Amino acid sequence: MKFIDSQNDRWQQVQGEDGPQSHPTPAPHRLLTLEQWHAVRAEWPQGVAVGVMLPNDAEVEDLAEDLPRLALVALKFPKWVDGRAYSQARLLRTRYGYKGEIRATGEVLVDMLPLLQRTGFDAVQLRGDQKVESARRALDFFGGHYQGDTVHPQPLFARHESQPYVRS
Amino acid sequence: MYKYTEFDRQFVRARAAQFRDQLERNLRGELGDDEFRPLRLQNGWYIQRHAPMARIAVPYGELSSRQLRQLARIAREYDRDYAHFTTRQNCQYNWIPLHQSAEVMELLAEVDMHGIQTSGNCIRNITTDALAGIAPDEVVDPRPYAEVLRQWSTLHPEFAFLPRKFKIAITGAAEDRAAIQWHDIGLQLVKNEAGEVGFKVFVGGGMGRTPVVAAEINAFVPWQQILVYIEAIVRVYNRYGRRDNLYKARIKILVKAEGQKFFDAVNEEFRKILEVDAEGAAHLIPLRELERVSAHFTLPQGVRPAAGGFQPGRYGDQQQAFARWLERNVHAHKVSGYRAVTLSLKRVGQAPGDTTSAQMEAAATMADRYSLGELRVTHDQNLLLPWVREADLYAVWHAAKDAGFAVPNIGLLTDMIACPGGDFCALANARSLPIAAAITERFQDLDELWDIGDIDLHMSGCINSCGHHHSGHIGILGVDKDGSEWYQITLGGSDGSALSGKTQAGKVIGPSFAADEVPDVIEAIIDTYRAQRTEGERFIDTVRRLGIAPFKTAADAVRSATAVRGEAVPA
Repeated sequence: MKFIDSQNDRWQQVQGEDGPQSHPTPAPHRLLTLEQWHAVRAEWPQGVAVGVMLPNDAEVEDLAEDLPRLALVALKFPKWVDGRAYSQARLLRTRYGYKGEIRATGEVLVDMLPLLQRTGFDAVQLRGDQKVESARRALDFFGGHYQGDTVHPQPLFARHESQPYVRS
Repeated sequence: MYKYTEFDRQFVRARAAQFRDQLERNLRGELGDDEFRPLRLQNGWYIQRHAPMARIAVPYGELSSRQLRQLARIAREYDRDYAHFTTRQNCQYNWIPLHQSAEVMELLAEVDMHGIQTSGNCIRNITTDALAGIAPDEVVDPRPYAEVLRQWSTLHPEFAFLPRKFKIAITGAAEDRAAIQWHDIGLQLVKNEAGEVGFKVFVGGGMGRTPVVAAEINAFVPWQQILVYIEAIVRVYNRYGRRDNLYKARIKILVKAEGQKFFDAVNEEFRKILEVDAEGAAHLIPLRELERVSAHFTLPQGVRPAAGGFQPGRYGDQQQAFARWLERNVHAHKVSGYRAVTLSLKRVGQAPGDTTSAQMEAAATMADRYSLGELRVTHDQNLLLPWVREADLYAVWHAAKDAGFAVPNIGLLTDMIACPGGDFCALANARSLPIAAAITERFQDLDELWDIGDIDLHMSGCINSCGHHHSGHIGILGVDKDGSEWYQITLGGSDGSALSGKTQAGKVIGPSFAADEVPDVIEAIIDTYRAQRTEGERFIDTVRRLGIAPFKTAADAVRSATAVRGEAVPA
């Protein structure tokens, strides 16, 4: 899991005087809003790394076609208890086979880490007051889980292959 | 009963360690209270009126005597010596200080118990009927499926922060005794013409402010596919359920708003998981796994079917008392020579569903001696012994009497469902326990209870409906008006059981009543029934036949505080 330090983040949004620039010029590691991406997607050159911020009420399906061109998809937790981005991440990985970076942004707290990891996020921008060390520790409590996930797609019962039945 | 594997055990210990870490960070000030709240809720710790309420999971209601003894010990050492059994088959404590919660989780882990997902906006305890595996009318034993579902839903990473709570119930009998159509997902095990097992799936039921009966979304999902099907439902809910308004966030609202579009979205999602997703078939249940889990639910060692009919025997002057108990509290069993015995937790002097630690120890001893160490928590807040030999019934009756479990009222008026209400719950508008106590005391006479016959009285202290008032033949709902306690009465609700008929919410009979009027109102309603019933007609059938008008008239006639010279007091 990669922890993004906002000070050292190579990905940058493209802001104008009042809000996102409507028509950003292609340059590497630009993180665009959905509107910006729609404005420039036709001309964005292949090979120039680009990322898109997907709101958590937007349809992942609408971005499906463009995914091979995107190096980064940033998903949002407007409140940490709003769990829609977990489904978005899971769909990106397993339905659309997305191989680029999926980043968690917004209100991201250390206790979310196990869920983020298991739904397909590989980068996290923690809320300012959250410690990376605590986030790393949060990943270590469980040796295994019952249901499959994006890291281990087979559920526990499929991994039982060689184990005998447990009789009461 | 399911026996934990080493994996299960380590898992619960890991969870307890994770919770301890979160608790300690909270007590140290590193994890704010607001942020700790959803985390502790997902371990069952709910800050309530006086103290944290701890809700302990009893998966599909099955409990071992060893587990019950540990629950008793926790009640004794950490609480005020009693515990409460809930309408979702769980166990609740009311007085354990939060700083001791991690210790209690560790004690629970010792006996393979926990509070995982008993609260919070996640998939909750999966409930079933307390006669699962032993009911004579069973089609398919739901317990193996309930266990597979429990494991699949436990710490599912995608569904930990749904718009709202998510409750699933499952039934495998001809009669639905699990109120499945009152749940977010209701599952009915069926066999098709080829004899294959599958699920009829209902979605979008729920109580609360807007009671809704679940709609059938699929007549037959093959059992192998049920996890994938539920995944499709919950994903659509996670993505599209309302998050703007807490009171409109349950799946029932989404189902009602979208109708067929919702059903289409679920079926499409289901198809995509299986046909498109990488490893989408991973959660199809292999036969091997069903067999592995089912092996835990075969007849326990020690069950020996007996030939020959049961003769109650001759017990002299105890004959009638024993006979009454046999009639109400003892139930037919799939296995010849066996019965199920309900230990009634509905008696004068204790809140419905409560037991003291001494009573829990007694129940555990009875389970060891007479029920192969197993018990069930019923959906109506009683306990049940599932493996009692007919030959032992007289002895069981005596043991039940000694422990205060033998009031022969199962299914009768005083076998009511009641939430803890305003005495304990910060959400409540009104107290339910004093009303429950008053009714229990008013209707102690067994002849009278017999004469009234089968009847479901359900009481909730507020619209959150934990007491299931909507499904009561008589429902009592605590409402708040001007800061004081009032009670709305409903009639004609149903939980979908054979007695009650088609699942439906009761109808309000009129403006609310004052607390001290309620027992008189119940009496007036009962008297109306007795005066108007036909030969052998049950209360609920009289209500359906006559409608609520005569009952409303009778109830209004006993208003005192609320009788404002013909003016209606607003509900």
